[in-house]
Amino acid sequence: MLKWYEEKSLPTDIIISSRVRLARNFSDYPFAAKLSDEKAKDLVREITDKFMGKKANEESEYFCCNLSNLSEVDKNAMVERHIVSPLLADKKQETGLILSDDESVSVMINEEDHLRIQSVTTGMDLEKVLKKANEIDDYITGNSHIAFDEKYGYLTSCPTNVGTGLRASYMCYLPGLSVAGLISSLTEELARYGVAIRGIYGEDSKSIGNLYQLSNEKTLGKTESDILEHLNEIMDQVIRQERKRREYLITNNYNELEEQIYRAYGVLSYTKQITSNECMSLLSDIKFGIDQGFINLNKELNIFKLMMDIQPANLQYKMGKSAGNSLRNRYRAEYMNQCFKNALNG
Amino acid sequence: MLCDKCNKREAKVYYTEIVNGEKKEQHLCEECASEFTSFHLASTVLNKDISLGNLLSSILGNYKVTNTSKEKETVKELVCKECGMTYEEFTTLGKFGCAGCYNTFKKQLGPGIKKIQGADVHVGKKPKGFVTKADKIVSGLSEIEKLSIKLQQAIEKEEFEEAAKLRDSIRELKKEEEINA
Repeated sequence: MLKWYEEKSLPTDIIISSRVRLARNFSDYPFAAKLSDEKAKDLVREITDKFMGKKANEESEYFCCNLSNLSEVDKNAMVERHIVSPLLADKKQETGLILSDDESVSVMINEEDHLRIQSVTTGMDLEKVLKKANEIDDYITGNSHIAFDEKYGYLTSCPTNVGTGLRASYMCYLPGLSVAGLISSLTEELARYGVAIRGIYGEDSKSIGNLYQLSNEKTLGKTESDILEHLNEIMDQVIRQERKRREYLITNNYNELEEQIYRAYGVLSYTKQITSNECMSLLSDIKFGIDQGFINLNKELNIFKLMMDIQPANLQYKMGKSAGNSLRNRYRAEYMNQCFKNALNG
Repeated sequence: MLCDKCNKREAKVYYTEIVNGEKKEQHLCEECASEFTSFHLASTVLNKDISLGNLLSSILGNYKVTNTSKEKETVKELVCKECGMTYEEFTTLGKFGCAGCYNTFKKQLGPGIKKIQGADVHVGKKPKGFVTKADKIVSGLSEIEKLSIKLQQAIEKEEFEEAAKLRDSIRELKKEEEINA
């Protein structure tokens, strides 16, 4: 079965994916801050039992597991693919995961909240993922004692999530705005409209691969559909700005861009060892080249998938063993050579 | 002297690090030194959650500052009966201990939540089968009482035709009640 990011339906030249997350808690368990180890076990068992044998789609059932049964590499690989959060992967207490086999639906158990229901899809379609997350929410919380208050809505561990418990986000690729140095001013501007933007890989402000995440900051006082609508309005503006910047770049710096893209292609085709950071930024150049028609490949390559594949833990997963830095760098280079060597049309 | 790290450039920075009482000295070139410092900067960025907690506690803790010291003490001593979370603990952690905490700290919470969220009333999704207090009151009313409320509303809106219909239904219901009695 194809993973969600391998599906081709909507354009992904700017918005790579849409994701929602619902935070839910039960009133008959203490929240994470006061949850005993014993109760944590009960919680994980109760939820995983609910999903045992449940169909995720026509072909397969949900995968349910206890995170403590997984290896560090497996856990980190899932963090890099955004299936679980670093918090969940590092937690000492018992934690659980429910996952559909295309990885589009997941439920984290005993994270900061008892449940974090996530749904993701490729391209710009928050409505679809919210609908899916709501279905899962209704399935789990239907007959349970859910922590809900008439005034404050869904009660959460942290007051920043109370109300709808909804965090909606777009993962987007913004090379035009990044090159123009506009991300920090965009961050300030968007904050005024209650939208947060942050880099996905790499540290905070310095994003690697020009990948960013835009998400709503407030969760209370608005309906779910209003939150999505508001985020969509802002996203439309960002898309317009990004397109303008790309046009400007292409008109004024065509030769330089072409050189940069072909150099990236050359390095990825013949490198013998490469770090994940360098690889990310070269892949970002290639993505720009493909999307804007600078470069024409004779095979279909999903650059976003490659960006996840080359992250340290996912690479080790692919290698089938844990490996140190230098070994990884060589394997990463080999993998890139395989993908790109002789892949050029004309 | 060459840089201890890259062994290529001349060392210009003398870097001393003391971890758990163990002293480590390094001679670094400017480039490697800047990498070192940015590494340390980056690790403070990673601790963002902690600073968010501090930010939250200053917002949520504001209540204490604005009140007299006597009240301050009693607020400090507030404890959630269900999970044992104290108000003091809650403001430092920025996290609730259980669903009951929302009720225990209700009075102190209002302004803080409004500051964080820009609103303080939920208008979105409700769990399936959730009954609001207003619904509960309505469901406890008799049919005649419900119709009387509707009649009152119709009169206020000057919908007299509707009002007449409601009046007749009420009369009939009352008659039925009398017969049954």
